[in-house]
Amino acid sequence: MDKNFYSIFKTFFKVGTMLLGGGYVILPLLTSELVEKKKWITSEELCEYYALGAALPGIIAANTAIFTGRKLLGTQGAVAAVTGMVLPAYLAIIMLAYLFSAIVNIPAIQYIFWGVGIGVIVLLFLAVKEMWTNAVNDKFSLVIYSVALIAALSGKIPLPIIIITSLVVGIFWQKYEDRKNVRKDCE
Amino acid sequence: MMLYLQLFWQFFQIGIFSFGGGYATMPFLYEIADKFHWYSPSELTNMLAVSSITPGPVGVNVATFAGFNSGGVLGSVLATTAVILPSFIIVTIVSKTLEKFKTNRMVKGAIRAIKPAGCALLTSVGIKLLFTSNLHLFGTLILIALIITSFVKKLDPLLYLAITAAAGLIIGYLNWIGI
Repeated sequence: MDKNFYSIFKTFFKVGTMLLGGGYVILPLLTSELVEKKKWITSEELCEYYALGAALPGIIAANTAIFTGRKLLGTQGAVAAVTGMVLPAYLAIIMLAYLFSAIVNIPAIQYIFWGVGIGVIVLLFLAVKEMWTNAVNDKFSLVIYSVALIAALSGKIPLPIIIITSLVVGIFWQKYEDRKNVRKDCE
Repeated sequence: MMLYLQLFWQFFQIGIFSFGGGYATMPFLYEIADKFHWYSPSELTNMLAVSSITPGPVGVNVATFAGFNSGGVLGSVLATTAVILPSFIIVTIVSKTLEKFKTNRMVKGAIRAIKPAGCALLTSVGIKLLFTSNLHLFGTLILIALIITSFVKKLDPLLYLAITAAAGLIIGYLNWIGI
């Protein structure tokens, strides 16, 4: 199919509409639309964009859409892809926002929200568990995790400062380790 | 005017500093709830539940919601754009230097440290939620039961929300606790 602004927008709008229950479903959705149906990119390329999108800051779905859109049609493609991906989310919330204030005082809704508050904690727990298995796997990462957790719980340090500090520490630690390994190789 | 600038700046920062996708935006969203009162922490929890049954990434959903709550339609457009804009800039830079980016040792070190830090921020949100929600005895029991069973078999995220929503309705109507 032709790759133009409108067709890219339409494809990502479709994916954005189906993107329910968190971003991790985006990979199978994009594979079916972009790789299998449209044959715009290969599955290897898509996986690489997704991995990069997850390693960079920001919303993974948006990062992946921007990478893919750029590959398809440069900056224009990136704008089409990210707008298409985000628009369904935006429209759904605007519609709900009007509804929200009208229904929030109904007892049944409040009971549901009380219950769902528990569900959110369960989902959070699962997210932490999954992040933990691929983020904390040596002494260095355990130290970073512990210090960052204490700093965040204290409520005294702005979160961006915690992120920037760990980023800088990570860069220097990697340098130190690389140097140590070079020395080992020489001996 | 000040409000719009603040909205833009706060959500722009989320776009820059949240690593690890979806839920990684939560620590920042709770921090904003504390600082600006555009929405309350309990509204945010409701919002997170709502956003798992509406299309789109959680971060975008909450940005739209917070923007709309505090600054109407214009606020919602600004906040949503602001949360995406850093992605646009960063991805553009990275895709131009893709090969270098993948093998760069500094990038490797940064990512190695940011992953556990992001995980720690998320943990802190979980701990704070645990202590600030009115779970009562029933809620605590449901939470423990769901977490234990998740080790045996992890259900679909939507199913956890459905189960707890039903539990909330039953407990609420039986009037076991004053919600």
